[in-house]
Amino acid sequence: MNEPEKATVPAKREESLFRRYPNLRVLSIFVSFVVIIVVLQLISTGGTKFPTFISPVNILNILQQVAVPGIIAVSMTMVMISGGIDLSVGMLASLVSIVVALGVSQWGLGVGASIALGIASAVVLEAIMGFIISRTSVEPFIITLGGMISFQGIALLLCNSREVVMKGELDFLTTNLFERMRDPVTGLLLRVPPYVILFFVIALIGGLLLTFTKYGRRIYAVGTNPRAAYLAGINVRNMRMSVYVIQGLFVGIGATMLLARINTGIITLGQGLEIDTIAMVVIGGTALSGGRGNIVGTLIGVFFLGSIANAMNMLRLPSEVQFLAKGLVVIIAVSAGDVSSRISEFLALRRERANMRTVLPPKERREAGEQGGGRADLQDLSA
Amino acid sequence: MSEILRLSHISKTFPGVKALQDISFDLLRGEIHCLCGENGAGKSTLIKILAGAYQPDEGGRILVDGKEVSLTPRAALKLGIHTIYQEHVVFPDLTITENIFAGSEITRFGLMQRQAMRERTRRVLDYLKSDLSPEAAMGDLTSGQQKIVEIAKALEFRSNVIILDEPTASFSSREVETLLDILRRIRADGVGIIYISHHLEEVFEIGDRATVLRDGRRISMYPIEGLTKTTLIKDMVGRDPSTFYDRERVEPGEVVLEARHVSGNGVHDVSLDLRRGEILGLAGMVGSGRSELMEVLFGAAPLVSGEIRIDGRPVRHSSPKSAILNKMCFITEDRQATGLFLTQSIAENIAVANMVNTHQLLARPAADAAVAETYVERLNIRAPSTQARVGNLSGGNQQKVVLGKWFNTDGEIFIFDEPSHGIDVGAKQEIYRVMVELLRAGKAILMVSSDMPEVISMSDRILVFKEGEVAGELSGADITEENILSLSIGDTLQ
Repeated sequence: MNEPEKATVPAKREESLFRRYPNLRVLSIFVSFVVIIVVLQLISTGGTKFPTFISPVNILNILQQVAVPGIIAVSMTMVMISGGIDLSVGMLASLVSIVVALGVSQWGLGVGASIALGIASAVVLEAIMGFIISRTSVEPFIITLGGMISFQGIALLLCNSREVVMKGELDFLTTNLFERMRDPVTGLLLRVPPYVILFFVIALIGGLLLTFTKYGRRIYAVGTNPRAAYLAGINVRNMRMSVYVIQGLFVGIGATMLLARINTGIITLGQGLEIDTIAMVVIGGTALSGGRGNIVGTLIGVFFLGSIANAMNMLRLPSEVQFLAKGLVVIIAVSAGDVSSRISEFLALRRERANMRTVLPPKERREAGEQGGGRADLQDLSA
Repeated sequence: MSEILRLSHISKTFPGVKALQDISFDLLRGEIHCLCGENGAGKSTLIKILAGAYQPDEGGRILVDGKEVSLTPRAALKLGIHTIYQEHVVFPDLTITENIFAGSEITRFGLMQRQAMRERTRRVLDYLKSDLSPEAAMGDLTSGQQKIVEIAKALEFRSNVIILDEPTASFSSREVETLLDILRRIRADGVGIIYISHHLEEVFEIGDRATVLRDGRRISMYPIEGLTKTTLIKDMVGRDPSTFYDRERVEPGEVVLEARHVSGNGVHDVSLDLRRGEILGLAGMVGSGRSELMEVLFGAAPLVSGEIRIDGRPVRHSSPKSAILNKMCFITEDRQATGLFLTQSIAENIAVANMVNTHQLLARPAADAAVAETYVERLNIRAPSTQARVGNLSGGNQQKVVLGKWFNTDGEIFIFDEPSHGIDVGAKQEIYRVMVELLRAGKAILMVSSDMPEVISMSDRILVFKEGEVAGELSGADITEENILSLSIGDTLQ
């Protein structure tokens, strides 16, 4: 087949650049956000100082804040690509932190054993939810909502509704790997704790898993069209369950990191984590309906959402504003793709109409118009 | 009896297709006029014109009560023409009353007059001698009961023309009797009924006149009295020979797939043999159990009893995965719902089924793209690249992607369920060509098809299904439209 012939294939839907490269869309919004903050900082200092928002120490600061939600966002991306969702991650993280803290400080388990127990309990609980989700037709939203509430109950029972204070047993997870390195801009010490590295490792593993393994490609297939996936020989049930198991593993790891930072196992530790991670994932272009999304997009979403609070601080805006800003970012980032493709569809339609006027004699034009009308009428009838 | 509806010289052209040509038709008050014809004869187009959903070409005339009208969906309802489509258009969670009055609720000062609506529903159901409660939820009713509610709705709107498209498609025989009784009753009250059914026995039991359509033309019109089934069937078949496809025949080889007394998924006691190099056609009405049997063979529905053998070896297909491992392929009827991943690329779609056969854990997108490229060439898939999203391709090209997906598994037994459903003539020819290529390579094909020219010209042998069972087998010179139609509507072979 020769090239010109291929080129004449009509696309059913006009595709905008942003729709073809979904990551580009979020990235461009993110970049414009960064540019705006930097410009605002330059204006406020009269251009005399390097904008602190993009100083290495601040970037590392942001990384430390997003590392834990970022780890969980990676597995949330997989869950959502498979067509599921998980509202329980926040409370599960609290539960894990309490289990680990109790293990270390009260049950006399070693540090390693406590962490293993915490992660294992997250995996088991997620596996139970995954089992129910994959074997019944109940919405994952509802099952994980139930999971969220019951995990909160389990956690509160375990700690008798009190916080569990540790004596810094997990500090090895927060040590600075870059000792004695200073930021050339601010002169402050640079901090890179191990969990930031771990976040990047997990993101890399997640990305490779989704793109370069048979398992990953099948997650997309299951999320796009479960029936067709089943008929193509994929064990849809086990696939749907497995993503929750991975979610459990990552939540367990993330919660341990969070505990290491705070040094106290407490129910509020994971509060709102599910909102943040889901927001990060959807900002990154993953569809709630499943089948679409990738880790690179999620990473952009993670950095984007994580830098909002920080930017608000830099601009000395009250912290309350950051909720509004976060909310707006979610809405803008997610609707931008649709808006841009609507605009390009509209432009294409106008082009087409213009062509029609010049090419077709009046009678055929009327018929072409009539046909569209006939279809609309049919919908009208069945409504 | 006076005339209530007349169509004269109605034609309807779609781009590239003449769906109806010069149709004349009339309906009297208190009459049941049956429309007969095979799939694609133009029945649906005709009733859509009557429902106002399609506008006919210029030149024809539609008269209602002697006055010329132009029909839109709203105008048709206003003139008392009510169409009851084959698929139920209902709100399953609402009550019967709410369904009947949906969109035209009786209100007073903006408030619903529930009592009044219930009363009127009660009255119309009484008139139909139905003991359904107006408060029953629509979703709890059987298909037959839902049809009664739709008729009640038509009567509530004082319709004097009721069009029923395949009303008994999923009915039990008692429900058919009830429906026919109801139709007799409303006919006696002067309503004109246009009745479309594949079941000729119903046509003969209830019809007053029958009009036969074939390939968009009106072939004949008879009073039912004195009409024989043979005459009717003869008019329904007898297609233009140019619609048939002449394919190269391959000498059949050894038996590759055997089914013995297979039951399950609505199929009862079906046995068949499939040889390499042959196409075994499965004909019959929609819903006669053909696709259901395919699901059982492919492991997508449980086998209740019976045995399946591949290459003489008994197999158990607990899921499609095991069927694929046994070299089976299933090109399903509804490619968008069950065959494709529309938001994924061509390369991914082609790679997905063969994953069962590959043992490595890693996926190799570049290798997948290269494989996809060979299928794009071989199947002549028209697409900008192998990374194009399948959802953006035309129907014929989508179907070729489905073929690519299965060819990539290197299967031996191909199930084609309605292989050319909804694709254009050119793509159809290409798919037939590919099927013959498969036969030449020693593969075997089971083909479910409701398209008469297709099943007749492509099949080496044909099994005709009726109500989940094999009604008969045809081969050689016995493969005629007449024989297939007689078997599938339950006549014995003459």
